[in-house]
Amino acid sequence: MSSVLTLRLAGPLQAWGVSARFTRRTTETAPTKSGVIGLLAAAQGLAREADLSALAVLRFAVRVDQPGRRIRDFQTAHHLDTGDSMPLSERFYLADAVFVAAVQGEPGLIADLFEAVRAPAYLPYLGRRSCPPSPPVEPAVQHDALLDQALAGEPWRAAEWYQHKRRDEATVSLSVLSEPGGDVPVGATGADSWRDQPLSFDPRHRRHALRTVVTSTVTVANPCARTPPPTRPRPTVPAHDPTGPLEGV
Amino acid sequence: MYLTRFRFNTARSDARRLLSSPQSMHAAVMSSFPQILPTAAPAPRVLWRTDRNASAEVLLFLVGPFRPDLTHLVEQAGWPAAAASGTPGWQTFHYAPFLDRLDKGGTWGFRLTANPVHSVRNVDGAPTKRTAHLTPRHQVQWLLQRQEAGGFKVLPKPEDKQLTDHGDEHQVIVTDQRGMDFGKQGAKGRVTIKAVTYDGRLEVTDPDALRSLLTSGLGKAKAYGCGLMTLAPLG
Repeated sequence: MSSVLTLRLAGPLQAWGVSARFTRRTTETAPTKSGVIGLLAAAQGLAREADLSALAVLRFAVRVDQPGRRIRDFQTAHHLDTGDSMPLSERFYLADAVFVAAVQGEPGLIADLFEAVRAPAYLPYLGRRSCPPSPPVEPAVQHDALLDQALAGEPWRAAEWYQHKRRDEATVSLSVLSEPGGDVPVGATGADSWRDQPLSFDPRHRRHALRTVVTSTVTVANPCARTPPPTRPRPTVPAHDPTGPLEGV
Repeated sequence: MYLTRFRFNTARSDARRLLSSPQSMHAAVMSSFPQILPTAAPAPRVLWRTDRNASAEVLLFLVGPFRPDLTHLVEQAGWPAAAASGTPGWQTFHYAPFLDRLDKGGTWGFRLTANPVHSVRNVDGAPTKRTAHLTPRHQVQWLLQRQEAGGFKVLPKPEDKQLTDHGDEHQVIVTDQRGMDFGKQGAKGRVTIKAVTYDGRLEVTDPDALRSLLTSGLGKAKAYGCGLMTLAPLG
């Protein structure tokens, strides 16, 4: 049996890089497995060089509740002590995005992670140190559950203004990026591969492996949906012929 | 009295010129009465109204003391070829027999294009200014205030048919609100008129007063297509 831990990842800015290198720091449109596993490892207080194998085997999925907007920051900075200019860099962020990430694993480990996220050893951040989560990540554990069911049953976590914006839709379909359950090989048809399977967070030599990602959709209810007002009969203009009762000349 | 109906050929540019200019229409209407000279001081009242039932069905109704000759309108803005085949291009009806038959208690459908205005004083001590009623509620109120003197009563609406809680107690709707704005020769400023069309049902309470209203008009801006009420049998 397995349990599922769900996290709400929401903040003014998020940045989830997979292929970000050097001065161009890009972001994916959804949280990466390495980013979320790193958040959990930090909550547990693991050191950078620690063995990740227990966390890396967790099955991971993320639901896009509010896609947000990609924004670009052209960053210039000077060294605090020497005043030398730092390398000019382009940094991309997701603004106003909300995701629900979920990891599935052995119940004991999930319970430990749940406790760790509630009282984290190192504060969590959303992909980049400068991007704190705005509401608490609201961890929740579902016992005896599978990843897909847990994400499909989770209520819509988008901001109220965003739910209100789509008030004409009673239900909304959200895309879910998940690891396939079986042994789907990397590069299978209909699947993406992302290089975000963490092998080591050692700052001297970070290593990531390829991971298979399949996209599906789930439908959730919109709590802000409005019922259309009852249609009211419009007054119609009656035909008017004043010459009916008159006699011609 | 005579009531005349003329249909515009809206595909013609002259028809559009007339329909877009209340002043041109006034001139065209007045020149269809050879008996009324432009210089005649107290000219008998001539009332007119355009009914835009559809984009291709625009009718001119005319009520006056004489038989009009609309040949010039047919030539400019009607169907002259159709008129040559025996039909004159417009229809004139005797109005007096119908007016004489109006009885107290009779119910009719009515249509009225009018210029609902009231006079307001914006600053204490300043003279009042004539101001248009702009909301349908005020416009209906304007009509209801004049129904008693006009010899008619707008029929009440059954309570279950009322669309709003207040102000929808009568069988009348206001449609086709349009603004007119044109310069006038020899006058400073511009003429601005708000014309609205009422459609509804009424009951005759004072036949004489209603007769006078039907032939002499209601409200202001009678020269520019306002004030003519016509009655039609209830369908």
